[in-house]
Amino acid sequence: MRIQSGLPVGVNAAFFDEARRIRALEALLSTRLIEGGFHEVLLPILDYYQPYENLLTSGATESGAAEQLYRFIDRDGQLLALRHDFTPMLARLVAPRISQWQLPVRLFYRGDVVRFQEPRPGRLRESAQLGAEILDAPEASNEQEVLELFVDLLQRSTRSGTGGLQIVLGLANALEPLIAAAPDAAAAAQAVVRRDRTAAAAVSRALLEVVRDGAPSDFAALGHRAGELEGLFEIKERLLQSVSGDDVQVSVDLAEFEASSGTIQGSEHLYYQGLVFRAYRRGSAQPVGNGGRYDGLFKALGAEVSAAGFSIGLDQLLAAQDTGGI
Amino acid sequence: MLRLALPKSRNQESALEALGAAGVDVSTFSNRRLRQCLSIEPLSVSAPGDAGPEIREVEIVSLKDWDLPLYVEYGIADCGFVGTDVLEERGADLLTPLRLRAGRCRMSLISNTVLPPSDGAQIRVCSKYPEWTRRLLAQKPWGAEVFQLWGSVELGPLLELAELAVDIVQTGSTIKEHDLHELEVLAEIAPTLVINRAAFQRQRVALNELMARIERAGLVGA
Repeated sequence: MRIQSGLPVGVNAAFFDEARRIRALEALLSTRLIEGGFHEVLLPILDYYQPYENLLTSGATESGAAEQLYRFIDRDGQLLALRHDFTPMLARLVAPRISQWQLPVRLFYRGDVVRFQEPRPGRLRESAQLGAEILDAPEASNEQEVLELFVDLLQRSTRSGTGGLQIVLGLANALEPLIAAAPDAAAAAQAVVRRDRTAAAAVSRALLEVVRDGAPSDFAALGHRAGELEGLFEIKERLLQSVSGDDVQVSVDLAEFEASSGTIQGSEHLYYQGLVFRAYRRGSAQPVGNGGRYDGLFKALGAEVSAAGFSIGLDQLLAAQDTGGI
Repeated sequence: MLRLALPKSRNQESALEALGAAGVDVSTFSNRRLRQCLSIEPLSVSAPGDAGPEIREVEIVSLKDWDLPLYVEYGIADCGFVGTDVLEERGADLLTPLRLRAGRCRMSLISNTVLPPSDGAQIRVCSKYPEWTRRLLAQKPWGAEVFQLWGSVELGPLLELAELAVDIVQTGSTIKEHDLHELEVLAEIAPTLVINRAAFQRQRVALNELMARIERAGLVGA
């Protein structure tokens, strides 16, 4: 049972079986991560606001991500923020210390994140998450391992053959050259976000293909990111070969990750570079998890490291009707 | 199986025309049934050229326009047709890939005089769409107190409850009938295909083919 009445918008309390399901799902996934050599980190719910204001403000534009933070002034006058995302907090704490650690380091976390969201179907302002990160030497590539682990965890939370899991792969900010070339870049970005075929066709054939099929047929349309797109399709093929069961579909879709997309769940689009991914489950209106590569976040904090990871929304996962065995 | 939401209002005719063009057998559609299954020319669910399962039937759910975006946003229906007026007023995190050519109308400023408000004036405006109206009038050189009416909006200026009304105009006959004046067209309204974001990812091949059929029939406008 979940109780929402009498509570602020976007938060709820779990009782009885619902509470048991959340804890059981968390235990199932945590056990898998511990067996896989991941170490749990316990992060505070309170932190200073200032580090995130710098990390989550992109370029010249005021970021919606920083706006999502719940912040307040402590009794000693310090501006504090509630934990809205584990990854930036983890990065800011790990970056000054990582040169002293033996790599790779595999970390995982679980707990609630709190972020302001417009009241829309399936969106919570406080939600339970579990996530994992692999930090390695700068030249290391752990994307495949991270992706396979992500899919494995989602499959474990599902009765065999009933998951209807859709994994969407993309490249962060890959559409910038296509959008910047449009006469009205803002309108072109909006066409991508809404998948407006007529408006995209008016800009270019490549943009129409992105909106319709997820990627341009001529990879050269992405300019210097063309090679990455080729690599992305290779990642897709490898992932398809590695997953068991026919209930997992994998697609490449650059439009899904357009920065101003309404589906962005938090600040993720600001710190991912290269590979980004997201998962949908049958019965859930919102993505049940997302992740990607975020070396740049560490670089901004002064550490050269290869970083990739993901988070899974436990509330979103349980909202999917067919979560089984939990 | 695709579940498609069909509006009960003025947009139903153009939505049915689009569905017919998409290969749905609309000849058996009944307006009195809240949900019904109709056959469709097979839609592939796998990549073009791959042999795989096909969709041969769609479930149609008939909904009030104002409720339709919520059903699609929650993923109860995969997609549906609704007017841009409802989307503008309600707001919805939905994909809007196509606007239909047929069934278009306009959102207009209606008055009982032929003159627009003078600059700096403060007036009352009634509408069924208060949120959208506030945005549409935000740049006007006069101030407006916007309030919502649920009934006949044209009665507002007619009985001087408000100086202006903002409402949908199809043929303009109601305005003429009551000696009112259409001062300005503020926006065009079009029946629009809306798709749930998660549904698009799960059913991308089938939905793309459905949209391509509607486009090939020449039913899509800018």
